[in-house]
Amino acid sequence: MKLSSAKVPKESKGASPIDGHNYSLHSKRRSGRTTLPVQAAEQWSVAVDMHNTNSIQPQNSHTSTSRSSDSGEPCATGNKWASRLLRECARAISDKDSTKIHHLLWMLNELASPYGDCDQKLASYFLQALFCKATESGQRCYRTLTSVAEKSHSFDSARKLILKFQEVSPWTTFGHVAANGAILEALDGEAKLHIIDISNTLCTQWPTLLEALATRNDETPHLKLTVVVTANIVRSVMKEIRQRMEKFARLMGVPFEFNVISGPNHLGELTKEALGVLEDEAVAVNCIGALRRVAVEERGAVIQMFQSLGPKVVTVVEEEADFSSTRYDFVTCFEECLRFYTLYFEMLEESFAPTSNEKLMLERECSRSIVRVLACDEGEDSTAGECERREKGSQWSDRLKEAFSPVGFSDDVVDDVKALLKRYRAGWALAQPHQDETGLYLTWKDEAVVWASAWKP
Amino acid sequence: MAMAIDNAFEVDFSSYSTTTTTTTTTTTDDDLACTWNDWGSPVVDWDSLSSERDEFQDLIESMMDDGTGIELARVDHETSNSVSIDTMVADEESNREDFKGLRLVHLLMAAAEALTGANKSRELARVILVRLKELVSPNDGTNMERLAAYFTEALQGLLEGSGGGHGKHFITNGPHYHRDEHHQTDVLAAFQLLQDMSPYVKFGHFTANQAILEAVAHDRRIHIVDYDIMEGIQWASLMQALVSRKDGPPAPHLRITALSRSGSGRRSIGTIQETGRRLVAFAASIGQPFSFHQYRLDSDETFRPSAVKLVRGEALVINCMLHLPHFSYRAPDSVASFLTGAKTLDPRLVTLVEEEVGPIGDGGFVGRFMDSLHHYSAVYDSLEAGFPMQGRARALVERVFLGPRIAGSLTRIYRTRGEEESCPWSEWLAAVGFKPVNISFANHCQAKLLLGLFNDGYSVEELANNRLVLGWKSRRLLSASIWTSPDSDF
Repeated sequence: MKLSSAKVPKESKGASPIDGHNYSLHSKRRSGRTTLPVQAAEQWSVAVDMHNTNSIQPQNSHTSTSRSSDSGEPCATGNKWASRLLRECARAISDKDSTKIHHLLWMLNELASPYGDCDQKLASYFLQALFCKATESGQRCYRTLTSVAEKSHSFDSARKLILKFQEVSPWTTFGHVAANGAILEALDGEAKLHIIDISNTLCTQWPTLLEALATRNDETPHLKLTVVVTANIVRSVMKEIRQRMEKFARLMGVPFEFNVISGPNHLGELTKEALGVLEDEAVAVNCIGALRRVAVEERGAVIQMFQSLGPKVVTVVEEEADFSSTRYDFVTCFEECLRFYTLYFEMLEESFAPTSNEKLMLERECSRSIVRVLACDEGEDSTAGECERREKGSQWSDRLKEAFSPVGFSDDVVDDVKALLKRYRAGWALAQPHQDETGLYLTWKDEAVVWASAWKP
Repeated sequence: MAMAIDNAFEVDFSSYSTTTTTTTTTTTDDDLACTWNDWGSPVVDWDSLSSERDEFQDLIESMMDDGTGIELARVDHETSNSVSIDTMVADEESNREDFKGLRLVHLLMAAAEALTGANKSRELARVILVRLKELVSPNDGTNMERLAAYFTEALQGLLEGSGGGHGKHFITNGPHYHRDEHHQTDVLAAFQLLQDMSPYVKFGHFTANQAILEAVAHDRRIHIVDYDIMEGIQWASLMQALVSRKDGPPAPHLRITALSRSGSGRRSIGTIQETGRRLVAFAASIGQPFSFHQYRLDSDETFRPSAVKLVRGEALVINCMLHLPHFSYRAPDSVASFLTGAKTLDPRLVTLVEEEVGPIGDGGFVGRFMDSLHHYSAVYDSLEAGFPMQGRARALVERVFLGPRIAGSLTRIYRTRGEEESCPWSEWLAAVGFKPVNISFANHCQAKLLLGLFNDGYSVEELANNRLVLGWKSRRLLSASIWTSPDSDF
């Protein structure tokens, strides 16, 4: 029996994508033993019979080997084997080429590992999303990942993670410093400040601001902080955060009030009353990484809601990637997603120590977003606040311009940011916007990764 | 694969013994065939050498003595069934092994594809090979795992070589591949084992020798030009047969011209000179008139027939053993040069033994790669079937001979990918005008008897009047064909 037909599977269009059943390589058992499993190999090369399928897990059991990259250097460009295979697989899924899908998923599965080098990690997490997409099990997978994360989430672990991340990378602190600077300047001289914080940063932004309030002015203003929490994971820890914030404010000698609003299904429905905004307060709306969690069609409404609060300043910080305009074009969206997360993973790789647990956890958190963006359909049983479809600064700007005008960051603030970046390893820089753009960009190796902006009515 | 011959003649193998059997019609040739003694003796009795005692035998003996656990028990017909062992293994284990085997095959195919396919990517190939190396080892595990280890190594060599550098396992520009790294002890021991565990070498030698004997039955002088004499064992057998032949002129003179290659300072089975000395001594010990000559090839291995000394009245035989397991790969140009030159010498007989490849098709590198995988998988199977418990012995043969052969085979396939693959040499001979010579019934019988000594998984097919092919189960492995020069009326 010759294996001459076993070429690499050719494209066979028309077959439906792998359906909801799980599948595996089905090797027939034979009586005599031969070295070469010929029959099964022949089966493989023929278009897979979708009805004959059992289950395969996207991560198989070779997790133990932590392979270090052969090259021994941090991953350079993203144009390596992993991104090639991943993109091919995405295209195959889009083309509904089931043989090719099967083959590529198998190959990715063999080569991927969440403990290996950048390529292997990307392969691993994106494989999961591709697998879910192909088997239409994205929603289920996302639920599982979320519930696992929630169970293992604790204030201590979250805090440790965030702090460590801030220590090695300005990814989050960049936005904090820029936003704080804009808020302080906009609310300078006001006696009663009310900051509406719509973010999931566990309030790590505010100690610095409290300190500034305490030291800057002769008259320390009163600060009311209303935190709107949209992620389930964060809700559970707000109690501890409240205690710490109140304690810190006392230490700083800042008159302080802390409120938590959790569980609004649609941000756009919030009102002044619901948020406790009073007439004599100077309001600032601070929105860090939260707009992307709003369903795309509702983003306009949310911005209207901001406007309805009558703020003196609105600060928006988002990661620079576009998963929104491409949301009906799987392949393009996939490529953008891969581009962004390749940057992110490479950044993590270079910022943390090789065996860092925190790095691993941050990578794992990405897996949820990736599955969500790539393998979950819009509007499908979606709970609010889980969208994850990022937009670029220019896109957010277009939306915000409907209700606000941009405010440039003052030189002082820019200097603060520059000083901040100096504290980190090389590779980070600041990019000021071009002509029509607003805001400030954080760049990693000359690629824009985070966008910070400030707006006034 | 039933042979026509089997239907016509009911030949009973079960009661075979070393004495003459009279299962055939009466021709002198058959008698000769059936009086071959030493069916089982794998190596010529080197003891009969004169005073200078070779390292050869000492080393082999010492390997056997020092308890390395290599058991050289001869195969009996009865114990050749390894299927019984298979059935003892739990089904589950077998399934798991199959699954792993399947994985390895796919990874290998993916690596081959990555290396040469339409979307080739060295990076991807490298990564797949890394993964493969984690899964396999050349010394442990199942046949498939060990086989995959050698194929992985071979691919690695291609990957490194094609990048410009020369990996340790990569075949350089010369027609040889490096066996330097193997200690001569290992090489000798492995050769002994190869002989004992499989019929490949003997099939090639015996089929050729039988045809030669038949062709020179009435000659006084015989001249054999040997393309690749290696250790010379083929001629020891022939000499024994010549000495004991009953018909035809007694004490025919045998002359052998052996091609040698320059720059082969490597220690393999031995140098040409050593082989010559051994044969001279052996011939003397059995009373066979004999002389030995060396024809030194230049580094480009061009064969110049005019440089071969011919003697009037001698029957000229061209012997071309190409792909016996312990042979080095020879560059196609070299072989072509030799055979072309041979044609002008108007030989009485040409004996050719080469490996049988599957249909080429348009599979490109990957297709031929898979074919090669199949080929060696069958070889591994054949060894295991006969000697299931002698894993270490087989591993030695694999390491010394088969591994380098796999590397050589892949390099050759890699180099010629996309171009017209060279056809089998037998086709080439036919195309340039050589005429086929029938393989005698006796020769065919002899082959079957030989295989019968080993394992019933082996088979011999007569694919053409002049061509016998040795196979394992459904896979054809080695082809022996007989020819005569275009102008001959033999």
